[in-house]
Amino acid sequence: MTHKQMLPKDIRDLQRMLPAGALLVGEAELAAYAYDATAQRARPEAVVLARSVEEVRHTVLFCRERRIPYVARGAGTNLSGGCVPLRGGVVLSLARMDRILGIDTTALTAVVEPGVVNLKLQEELARTGHYYAPDPSSFRVSTIGGNIAENAGGPRCLKYGVTTDHVLALEAVMPDGGLERFSARDAGCELMSLMVGSEGTLGVVTKAWLRLLPLPEGVRTVLAGFTSVDAAVRCVSAIVAAGVLPRALEALDRATVASVEAYNRAGYPDADAVLLMEMDGTPDEAAREAEIVERLSREHGATEIRSAQEAGERERLWEGRRGAYAACARLAPNVLVEDGVVPRERLPEAVRRIQEIAASYGIKPALVFHAGDGNLHPNISYDERDPEQTARVKAAGAQMLRACVELGGSLSGEHGIGTEKREAMRWLHTPRALKLLRDLKRAFDPEDLANPDKMFPEPGGSESGPLIAARALSPQVERLVSQVKECASLGRTMAIVGGGSRWKAVPPDCVEISSAGLSAVLDWDRGNYTVTVEAGVSVRALRAALAAEGFHLHWPDFDGSLGGLLAAKPWPRLRDDILGMRLILADGEVVDLGGKVVKNVAGYDLPRLVLGSWGTLGVMVDVTLKLRSSPRDVPAVEDPVSFAARAWQKKVKQAFDPKNLFNPWFHS
Amino acid sequence: MSTELSRLLTDLGEKSSYDAASQCCRCGYCEQACPTYVITGNEARSARGRNQMVRLLIEKRLADPASARVGLDTCLLCGACTAACYARVPTADIVLEGRRMLAEKSHWLARILCRLLSEHRGLLAFGLKAANLAKRLGLTACIRPFLRLIGLPGLALAEEHVREAPLTFLYEILRRRPVAADPQWLYFAPCGPNFLYPRVGQATVAVLEALRGNGNFLDNGCCGLLAYNYGDVEDARRAARRNIVLFEAAGGRSPVVGDCSSCTAFLKSYPQLFLGEPDWRGRAERFAAVVLDAPELLRDAALPPLAGLAPATYHDSCRACHGQGLKDAGHAAMRRLAGPSYRELQESDVCCGGAGAYAFRNPGLSDELIRRKVGRIAATGARLVAASGTSCLIQLAQGLKKYYPECEVVHLSELAARAIAQGAQDGTQAGA
Ligand SMILES: Cc1cc2nc3c(=O)[nH]c(=O)nc-3n(C[C@H](O)[C@H](O)[C@H](O)COP(=O)(O)OP(=O)(O)OC[C@H]3O[C@@H](n4cnc5c(N)ncnc54)[C@H](O)[C@@H]3O)c2cc1C
Ligand code: SF4
Ligand code: SF4
Repeated sequence: MTHKQMLPKDIRDLQRMLPAGALLVGEAELAAYAYDATAQRARPEAVVLARSVEEVRHTVLFCRERRIPYVARGAGTNLSGGCVPLRGGVVLSLARMDRILGIDTTALTAVVEPGVVNLKLQEELARTGHYYAPDPSSFRVSTIGGNIAENAGGPRCLKYGVTTDHVLALEAVMPDGGLERFSARDAGCELMSLMVGSEGTLGVVTKAWLRLLPLPEGVRTVLAGFTSVDAAVRCVSAIVAAGVLPRALEALDRATVASVEAYNRAGYPDADAVLLMEMDGTPDEAAREAEIVERLSREHGATEIRSAQEAGERERLWEGRRGAYAACARLAPNVLVEDGVVPRERLPEAVRRIQEIAASYGIKPALVFHAGDGNLHPNISYDERDPEQTARVKAAGAQMLRACVELGGSLSGEHGIGTEKREAMRWLHTPRALKLLRDLKRAFDPEDLANPDKMFPEPGGSESGPLIAARALSPQVERLVSQVKECASLGRTMAIVGGGSRWKAVPPDCVEISSAGLSAVLDWDRGNYTVTVEAGVSVRALRAALAAEGFHLHWPDFDGSLGGLLAAKPWPRLRDDILGMRLILADGEVVDLGGKVVKNVAGYDLPRLVLGSWGTLGVMVDVTLKLRSSPRDVPAVEDPVSFAARAWQKKVKQAFDPKNLFNPWFHS
Repeated sequence: MSTELSRLLTDLGEKSSYDAASQCCRCGYCEQACPTYVITGNEARSARGRNQMVRLLIEKRLADPASARVGLDTCLLCGACTAACYARVPTADIVLEGRRMLAEKSHWLARILCRLLSEHRGLLAFGLKAANLAKRLGLTACIRPFLRLIGLPGLALAEEHVREAPLTFLYEILRRRPVAADPQWLYFAPCGPNFLYPRVGQATVAVLEALRGNGNFLDNGCCGLLAYNYGDVEDARRAARRNIVLFEAAGGRSPVVGDCSSCTAFLKSYPQLFLGEPDWRGRAERFAAVVLDAPELLRDAALPPLAGLAPATYHDSCRACHGQGLKDAGHAAMRRLAGPSYRELQESDVCCGGAGAYAFRNPGLSDELIRRKVGRIAATGARLVAASGTSCLIQLAQGLKKYYPECEVVHLSELAARAIAQGAQDGTQAGA
């Protein structure tokens, strides 16, 4: 795609559309918008400091008319090169749109503009006894818009989920300049989930409705030192299995503890791994859970255990964890913060491999990890002015990510792909899956102007396929695949049928593609609390089988097949538990979306997008679900009516199934 | 071309200015600490942006170096960013290096003023008194348009700002004190108390006498900060040498106490001026080690709470809380002095926009800052606010008068002096 350089006339015209002071074009000022928190840099040709939705719209329309690329920007703290304007053009800053528009403590929602700083929202909420769960370590400075665009996580997200779990609805200026609102409750495929984590490549978020939680009354923090990373991770598994879900479960390796001690003498135990765990709830709950955690820590050989209840004391226990990045930032000018994720049980192996890689590259990373969800952050100090060192550190970082992918994990748990990991996307996704992501981007933004050159590998390049081979297809799935392929080659329309409880009659001109009979449990990872099952399985049968071994889904009671349930999405919060999905596309190709890690921001959130799509996007073959260790009664819900596709849902359809072969009546 | 320091003393040790600026890894962690960023939402008005600009200047990667001027000139030098930064990148010093690189030559007026302040106090005093008289007679209003015309709108504003320039200066008063043979302290008179607020210096000296016994007035010149910030580094060094010599002549041991936080912070940073001169560096280090700012003096002082005090609050002068890490000290002293009248101020450590000559050079931003500050003060319901820097006293007096006239501003020392006087009346003895 070719983009135009901005001409003096473009600048003049843009200036005319904007209020005084909203456009920056001085060289030094442009240089101040050339970077984010990575070592990447590229100067824009103009910066717009938008104060209103109208200014955002005008800017987007202006750019579209003149084919000028633009990049949305919040606080510029992302760690993936996400807001570096590689092709120049316009940086569209949302920092001035920083009003909290409303806080409703009865409905437990807040409405905010995208430039609101996470901390400012938290401060406002605290006054009412509430909080907003996502707490990236950058929360003092990063914006809600940036958090949404990166689907940011934080220590607290083990129990409460990442950003996407706390967004109820969004308003965005789309690449065509239109203003759209998407909500998790929308009928049809779930565009809100697509927008969250899309790194500004699909539209500019201008308003967000967020979910609030009441501040817990009791919080307990426990710090424990272990003689090995393995012992610490075994302890974490035991804690989860005991039905305790700490709100934070952070770990540090020995090297990190040593560097932190040198920096701020937090008084952490001299151990190979330190766990920092925080339990919340009623004061009794928190105390009870802290006791369990302490007991399990002892049983797993913890050498030293410290526990705190008062805010001040708890803060002291956190000092070491918080100091980990600080210590690295003082060792050298730059810090590469890697962000791999693996299924939790594979953490010890991941740590070993990362340490080996570090040794072979002659570097000393400080390893911090969100142990509860398998998200690892090797922090590597270096000086970007030393090209040899920089290359070595980057290569080592890349190898560490490779190791995570090879262990069944993903490229990024929370920092996003941006420019830094775009080539690595090939390690995770097949060429067909990458094509699907690109097709989506093209359907939304045909001119490729919204944050171009991010997230996807450059077209061309080696298409060698992902690092780990996909699971083989069962004979039955093979049959479905050839059925779809045949229809596709003949241009015949197809009707996708699950358990058949949601619609009975297949239209006469459609070939029936049925996932009935696909009911095998493919992978039940008891340690990782995930299950991958075929989509034709009866939901009730699945729940019974899981419950028999103490695993649960926090859903209302549903009948019918799993695939049918997810395709109809009668209950929006099904989205909370969908980690991965295998889909037969309309050309008969099979793609694996998502994975079996609970945090994953490597590409658009397609598994959630497919929810509620009523079989219009692909044939769901199997699904990976997040499991819980304790049961919970959730009141029954009524099935919603099926949907009539809105304009942006039609664009999704265009990317997935351009010939409208699957369940065509929804889009006719 | 005014010369740069080229090397800085950072929290991570001595570094070239280039290394110091490059230590900023653009993590953005300081963004919300920077008042000018918070107000403008403009990255080119943030610490991170400013560090990048200076780095690009040093790397000669700005085709139009002058484009960095506004970004650098709008820095308050408040140091809030450094306090928030893990690597303690000394942005204010780096910004000053950048300004020096951009300045063809330092402003003639700034140079003259610096020289006057440190070397020809008598002459300056004469000029000031004349100007002050002129002002009282309403004559100076006539020169405002002239100042604006010659490109000094800042000074025109300054002239409007200062309403209470005294006719007797502090040094004239303190020279009349008897000289102690064995001084327990040396009072360093910053230019603010010296030429604008003698009452502040007198209060500090009264407090020193009550808390620490006999001591002497150093009869010093300007600390050099004015030259360091707006003029010539060489002039700043000259001022520093002169003060160090005075200190050594006075025994070279006793604590040197000052009551303008910008000034004491600068005295403490003297070693940075002499990185290439081992002898002077050593002398500067010995000097810096004994400097005390007023809040430090009062941190642990056992002073009785002031009786019948109206609701009172405390504003942290930037160079006390960020520059010297004295946030707790000031608040502890104030809490004790105000007793039950004490009110906690939200954002007490955010710059009021005074920042030396800032209010004069960037009136728009400065006004925005003081409005926010006064808003916070008003929210506490305070009728009195204390601070420890001269710029804060000027700026707050001005801002309160305009937006919240029910409230007055005083220096922390003044409250302490009142408490001592009250104690003397009650017959109780104050002690350190
Ligand atoms: C010290 C440090 C610690 C960090 N800790 C964490 C952590 O614990 N967890 C974590 O997840 N991340 C962490 N991060 C990364 C970063 O803070 C997050 O990615 C954060 O969400 C970025 O927010 P921002 O406002 O800075 O966005 P930016 O960096 O400005 O933008 C990020 C991306 O979002 C896009 N974007 C921004 N605003 C909008 C909008 N309104 N609409 C559409 N697109 C938009 C941009 O184009 C860009 O692609 C950390 C970073 C640092 C420097
Ligand atoms: S000054 Fe410090 S905190 Fe601010 S961006 Fe630079 S490194 Fe980060
Ligand atoms: S010194 Fe103050 S105004 Fe200057 S960059 Fe730092 S925080 Fe901002």
